[in-house]
Amino acid sequence: MVFNSLTFIVFFVMVLLLHRLPLSWTTKKANLLVASYVFYAAWNPPFVLLLWISTIVDWFIARGIYAARDKSAMRRRAWLLISLAANLGFLGFFKYGEFLLKNWQLLMASFGIDYQPVAWNIVLPVGISFYTFQTMSYTLDVYLGRSKPLKSFLDFSLFVTFFPQLVAGPIVRPGQLVPQFAVEKYATRDQILWGLGLMTLGLFEKIVIADGGLASTADAVFGAQGPVGFADAWLGTLAFSGQIFCDFAGYSTIAIGTGLCLGFALPNNFRMPYAALGFSDFWRRWHISLSTWLRDYLYVPLGGNRKGEARTYVNLMLTMLLGGLWHGANWTFVAWGGLHGLYLAGERWIRDRTGIHGEPVRWINRLALGLLTYALVNVTWVFFRAHTFGGAAQILQGMAGLAGDAEPVLATIYMIKVAVLITCIVATHWLMRDRDIEQVVSRTPWWLTGLACAAMLFAVIITQGSGTAFIYFQF
Amino acid sequence: MSNPDTLGKEVTRRAIPVTRLVAIGWLVLALVTAGVIGWELQMRSIGLVAGDLDDSKAQWAVERRKIASGDYDDVVVIGSSRILFDTNLDVWQELTGRRPIQLALAGTNPRPMLADFAADPEFKGLLVVGVTPDIFFGDWLGIPVFAGVVDYWKDQSPSERFGNQVGVFLSRHLAFLDSSYTLTALIDQVNLPNRGEIVRPYLDVWKVWETTDDRQTFLWSGIENNKRLREHARMAWGPFDGRLMEEAPITRACEEATDAVKKIRARGGEVVFIRSPSAGLYYENELHSAPRARTWDRLLRETGAYGVNFEDYPAMQGLDVPEWSHLSRDSAKKFTRAYVGELAKDLPWLRSRLRTEVGS
Repeated sequence: MVFNSLTFIVFFVMVLLLHRLPLSWTTKKANLLVASYVFYAAWNPPFVLLLWISTIVDWFIARGIYAARDKSAMRRRAWLLISLAANLGFLGFFKYGEFLLKNWQLLMASFGIDYQPVAWNIVLPVGISFYTFQTMSYTLDVYLGRSKPLKSFLDFSLFVTFFPQLVAGPIVRPGQLVPQFAVEKYATRDQILWGLGLMTLGLFEKIVIADGGLASTADAVFGAQGPVGFADAWLGTLAFSGQIFCDFAGYSTIAIGTGLCLGFALPNNFRMPYAALGFSDFWRRWHISLSTWLRDYLYVPLGGNRKGEARTYVNLMLTMLLGGLWHGANWTFVAWGGLHGLYLAGERWIRDRTGIHGEPVRWINRLALGLLTYALVNVTWVFFRAHTFGGAAQILQGMAGLAGDAEPVLATIYMIKVAVLITCIVATHWLMRDRDIEQVVSRTPWWLTGLACAAMLFAVIITQGSGTAFIYFQF
Repeated sequence: MSNPDTLGKEVTRRAIPVTRLVAIGWLVLALVTAGVIGWELQMRSIGLVAGDLDDSKAQWAVERRKIASGDYDDVVVIGSSRILFDTNLDVWQELTGRRPIQLALAGTNPRPMLADFAADPEFKGLLVVGVTPDIFFGDWLGIPVFAGVVDYWKDQSPSERFGNQVGVFLSRHLAFLDSSYTLTALIDQVNLPNRGEIVRPYLDVWKVWETTDDRQTFLWSGIENNKRLREHARMAWGPFDGRLMEEAPITRACEEATDAVKKIRARGGEVVFIRSPSAGLYYENELHSAPRARTWDRLLRETGAYGVNFEDYPAMQGLDVPEWSHLSRDSAKKFTRAYVGELAKDLPWLRSRLRTEVGS
């Protein structure tokens, strides 16, 4: 089920009440586990089987790896390969099957072979990329000697399935969450209130800004049938930059708030990314749980920056290309990752050559670098949002002012909405660049926070929402 | 703890703001409660009513499942908004003893539904197909919000089904829950000068209908009572450029319909076509863009099906079509009485299955 639905409100109230009953801690955890399965099954019941298989496979394989730690490296590697094959096999089948088949068809066609694959009618299990990476992190940690296997199957199952972050992250590591299952805990009154506040903020971002304020503009521009002019192309892309941020950060914020209401702490997934100064800074602020996952389980094992300059660039590009592919089975996502890889490599090259490693000090330089970063990030969003390279080229042509006499696409009201909302989003990111929301709220008069919360909740209620799925569910 | 050496080190902790959270909570509760009450009163004052259940794919799916479970009276209505607004289910039931399942959808071409029923071996009932010429004989399938509806009732998630029930419950008590009066919709209704030929979102269709149980749909009273809303609705149906519809899509529509009628009749079912009234510039435009001889007459000729066209019956003249495309609530009852009367009289399938006397 999605957070922005009436079903979730009813579900959450029931879970919260159940969690407050005077039951044993083990029973409460079992309740949470069942609730998490219900949460997932409410979308498509049969796919709960995938969660169970993933849970059981990694539970036993991690134990197998640990048992073989002093005996045979070959055996440990064999266990790991089974885990990777199972996890990536499911991911590959459900998410990349059709993509691979289509590319195989194109390859055959280039050799003059007319290969006609059967129709691929496989539904993508929601959030499969998220929980696959989460379970893999457990097995990989055990394999890399970073942690021991868990002793409680219940704790491990709950770690894999914990509903607040199950389908769209944050992707948590065992060490971040599992210890919280060990000791009985209640959410304090303040944790519940603050959790509800975060949920309100997340719903506001998703329902009011992403869906209500920006989605139609991005849809209109990226769905245009002909050339798109300069202003329309930029406004459509800016709208998508705001939409994707508010959609995804909104989900993460609701997840964190939901967890907090139950007494659990989930890590931040975003830290004002549109105020980033450069691209390594951007990736420290955008989808933090994925970027650190890719760093720890892909970039570092590949050698990171420890094997010379050339290899560092190769590792960087490989990590970002695969990170792009993680987002979706389409070459446009690979291009998106590749472009970010090039940005990171270019930034590294410049920093290495100039010896400048810190952030600019003068505000004008900071602003210039920040806006340049944001503008270049927007160029990457074109590939992320467009379904084809042709579509992306059409928008990029417009952004470069090369669309000729393109027909206008956006109504004035859409242009105003984008201008106002994007200005607010970017300004907020700059104002809160080095502070988290808890610090800001602590320094704000309580009545002002109350007014802001009430305004957001009221806007959520009268915008109503339509239970639109979060964009990242498809990943 | 399972592995205290490593796991505990990176455990996530979250700070709670140091502020008066309880006071904030009470303030939020008070302001939001006052705001919602005020908003509800404001929405009621412009004509929204509690009990207007809105329409959606989920509501459509509820009705569609009645057919799948066999819990219906063998009569199904499909089509676009005209047959949806212009058919009164109570009148149908009163005249025939059979209450139709209402599956017509606003802004949607009924041909995919027609094909779906033709392909369903279990369907042996009467299919009443509303024909709005510029939609039925065109290639446009419909507005995005109802896209994929034909299969949706089978694919709908348990969460969506439950959510719809909660939504219906709330809509029975709260008037402001209306997809046409969301904050987003209200902002998009601001009329500003646009570049070039852009007319939307201002000229998107605003609220025109009201829906109750069984998807019984009426023209919204706001359209009848408010001149500005009525004139906006008329403009929204445009442009009325009178451009003649192309032959190819008309041929496709007739071929698809012929195939469907043949299949349904082969297993004992029946199909009838209904052309509801239109008026004003919209009707004039239809006369030019979809001349009857090229569309309606051809459809009946090729399918061999029975049809009721409002142009042919005195009882269907002079009805009130406030925004040129849909009948007022009272006129919808009169139109239903008239066309069902014709069906009960002239359509053997229905005549032989009447559960009451016509007009009783």
